[in-house]
Amino acid sequence: MKPVVLQAENITKQFPGVVALKDVSFDLRAAEIHGLCGENGAGKSTLIKLISGIYPYGSYEGDFFVHGQLAKFRSLAAAQRAGIAVIYQELALVNDMTVGENIFLGSEPRTPQGLIDWHKVYHEARVLLQKFNVEIDPSEPVAKLGMGQKQLIEIVKALSKNSNMLVLDEPTAALGEHEVLTLLDILRDLRNRGIASIYVSHKLDELFAVCDRITVLRDGGSVAAFNTEQATKAQIIKYMVGRELGELFPRRRSKPGAAALEVEGLSVTDGDFGQRVLTDISFSLHVGEVMGIGGLMGAGRTELLMHLFGAWGTRLSGSVRLNGRELRAQKPEEIIRRGMVLVSEDRRRYGLILDKTVGFNLSLSSLAKLTKNRLIDEGLEFQKNNHFFQSLRVKAPTLEAPVAKLSGGTQQKVVLGKALMTEPLVIFLDEPTRGIDVGAKLEIYEIVNQLTDAGKAVLLVSSELPELIGMSDRILVLHEGRIAGEFDRDEATQEILLAAAMGQAHVMLT
Amino acid sequence: MIALVVICAFFAIASPQFLSARNLSLLTTELSITATLAMGMLLVILPGNIDLSAGSGVGLLGGIASVLVFEHNWPAPLAMGAASVTGIFIWFCMGNLIVRQKIPAFIITLGGLLIFKGLFWLVIHNSTIPIVQGGRANLYSVLTTFYLPPLAGYTLATLIVIALVLEKLRARKARQAYGFGVEDGEVLFLKLFLAAQLIFLFVIVTNKFRGIPLSAGILGVIAFAVYVLTAHTPFGRYLYAIGGNEEAAVISGVPVEKVVVGSFTIMGAIVAITGFMQTSYSGTSTTTVGDLMELDAIAACVIGGVSLKGGRGTVLGVLFGALIMACLLNGMTLLAVSPEFKFIARGAVLSLAVWMDVRLAR
Repeated sequence: MKPVVLQAENITKQFPGVVALKDVSFDLRAAEIHGLCGENGAGKSTLIKLISGIYPYGSYEGDFFVHGQLAKFRSLAAAQRAGIAVIYQELALVNDMTVGENIFLGSEPRTPQGLIDWHKVYHEARVLLQKFNVEIDPSEPVAKLGMGQKQLIEIVKALSKNSNMLVLDEPTAALGEHEVLTLLDILRDLRNRGIASIYVSHKLDELFAVCDRITVLRDGGSVAAFNTEQATKAQIIKYMVGRELGELFPRRRSKPGAAALEVEGLSVTDGDFGQRVLTDISFSLHVGEVMGIGGLMGAGRTELLMHLFGAWGTRLSGSVRLNGRELRAQKPEEIIRRGMVLVSEDRRRYGLILDKTVGFNLSLSSLAKLTKNRLIDEGLEFQKNNHFFQSLRVKAPTLEAPVAKLSGGTQQKVVLGKALMTEPLVIFLDEPTRGIDVGAKLEIYEIVNQLTDAGKAVLLVSSELPELIGMSDRILVLHEGRIAGEFDRDEATQEILLAAAMGQAHVMLT
Repeated sequence: MIALVVICAFFAIASPQFLSARNLSLLTTELSITATLAMGMLLVILPGNIDLSAGSGVGLLGGIASVLVFEHNWPAPLAMGAASVTGIFIWFCMGNLIVRQKIPAFIITLGGLLIFKGLFWLVIHNSTIPIVQGGRANLYSVLTTFYLPPLAGYTLATLIVIALVLEKLRARKARQAYGFGVEDGEVLFLKLFLAAQLIFLFVIVTNKFRGIPLSAGILGVIAFAVYVLTAHTPFGRYLYAIGGNEEAAVISGVPVEKVVVGSFTIMGAIVAITGFMQTSYSGTSTTTVGDLMELDAIAACVIGGVSLKGGRGTVLGVLFGALIMACLLNGMTLLAVSPEFKFIARGAVLSLAVWMDVRLAR
């Protein structure tokens, strides 16, 4: 059996009022990929912060051992010296610098005169990138790279510091399907080189694809560790939520009604450079229907939603009709008044005013309707806020809790509540379940069902194919800004959708 | 709070005149002028902008009104009206430049600072323009020389205290009805009691000299209006939302452009009012009127807990910040501190305030 490189023994970590981790034990062996999963709030982030030294030695009970020796990390730097590198969800790259500059940021090779040795920077960066089979030019500015490539740069940067333990926190949250595959390949390659990885993810498919073992955390305790070969997804889900889940995608079909949103021959350029991003898009979305939009990263899915919502791009041609009437409005504020609303994929950036309260955020889009004599009618505002607070089961102590401290799923419900309070006819959901746990996902799906039952229409963008197939009535697949296919729910399979998304509509992938 | 007490105690000991009724009355007038401008600055900073041109604007708009009165024989109200309209128009244009051309407010208003200063000197031909014709008092000159009679002061104070108590009780009841937490009844009583005491103390002290200065009344009206605007209207919510996260505000349907232009337009009106008060206070319009006032206004905001990134800050905090700045300046003047050291002290207090804010925020 491979030697244990990192061991956590009976770790307990308390915050004022909460026990985040209780008596958790965990071990990581050399040359393995160890999956860590659990619902939001199960303690995954806390465990990572302990391993990486962000919560210093002394702030917790229990012991960590690295290569059998007691580790007392007092800082991130101490953990790095011991060979532990952490890749966070929010990447820490400087966009305006090149790949090479980023890799050696803070540890630039020097010339004898003490200046930065640029030749060495780029030479060594190239060697490193080649070593890990990453095909990126080190002189490329990071800003030009996609999320997936940035992630790889971050990994290479971590490994350039001679780390032999890699911690990845939700590494694929922002990646498209094919970028995920590249990442998983690289991780397997690293495993063959003897590097041990901790892979934190909600996505069971990925965990099963790449991990040797999987540890499940629930409510701050480690409830089970499996060898991946001997485990099933159903088992893992059961341990994660502590209960059996019925159907994972409980889509109830409603009867489609009149056309709610009709798009005809829409072509859009990216305003800044005039590059064409969407070409000749036509579809119609009906009342009571969920239309899914699939496609790879960069296929124009988010751009389509953002453009229809008046928040992105310049229209070359095409017309949009909402509820039978031409929609000429240009700005989100007007479009919301006309009955269309967007829930963005990036809730921290486009969804929430983070340092304000739940109530502030919930009513933000509807304030114009909540006034009396031009002043905000606080009684009415409270009633509305409270209605959504309760009906969406927002898991916050009160309406006055700051949203920044809530879990991802709860934040998502706040964003959703804000959108629903505007009483829209058409709702755009862009990756509505990204980064949230299984339980909260189910609740969001249920809300989608209720919306279509109530005669609303939903446009759903998702990178997770099972979700897209499971929750949509019809699916539109985009490829390089064009419609590559439209599929009924019953005929869609992951293979068909993926083939269409890759521009191979007539070639079946096996 | 502690800082304010320390500053006041220091000056009270160092200079016996500091606590005299006459000086406190002067202090009130100075405070009113700075704080009025700071109210406008709050509206501009909340959505994450800044106005560096306010000080030059104060001089310019005060100067325009002076020239109209003294050289063109306009009646004072008309002259002030014309200058106000000019101010509102200029700031409306700056707001539009900022949101439509996407030029940072810092740059536009830095340009404004220089341009307005130049225009100001042109308007008053680098000289000193009185604000009255032939020594007769007019509406312009009484801005800082009129005092409410004692009885009116007491009546006003009583009314304010009653209104304050009623409003607090109403808000408390409403919060209880909504199931929100409320502070302890006794704490509330103590706070109200203290506030009432301070209000009456203020009236008693100012009455000992001549009465409540009119400028304090102007500040009161403007501060109340800005309070209602920021705390109880959609416009105010939008200011905080834009400052907190502009992209999310756009997606949430906040009319960002209108709100930012609106905040600058109101700033234009407030700059005009401050300009009249400041010019009136110095008696004539001269080249130095309004110098560095934008920095005092910004300092008052920052000391009062307003985040320069936007999204955070309250009217009460800014009033408090302005009070600290005004005490400091007034006290140093009494002690005959030389101008060099005045600058250094102002800068030091500002830096210290921000540093403490950052520390406490952690």
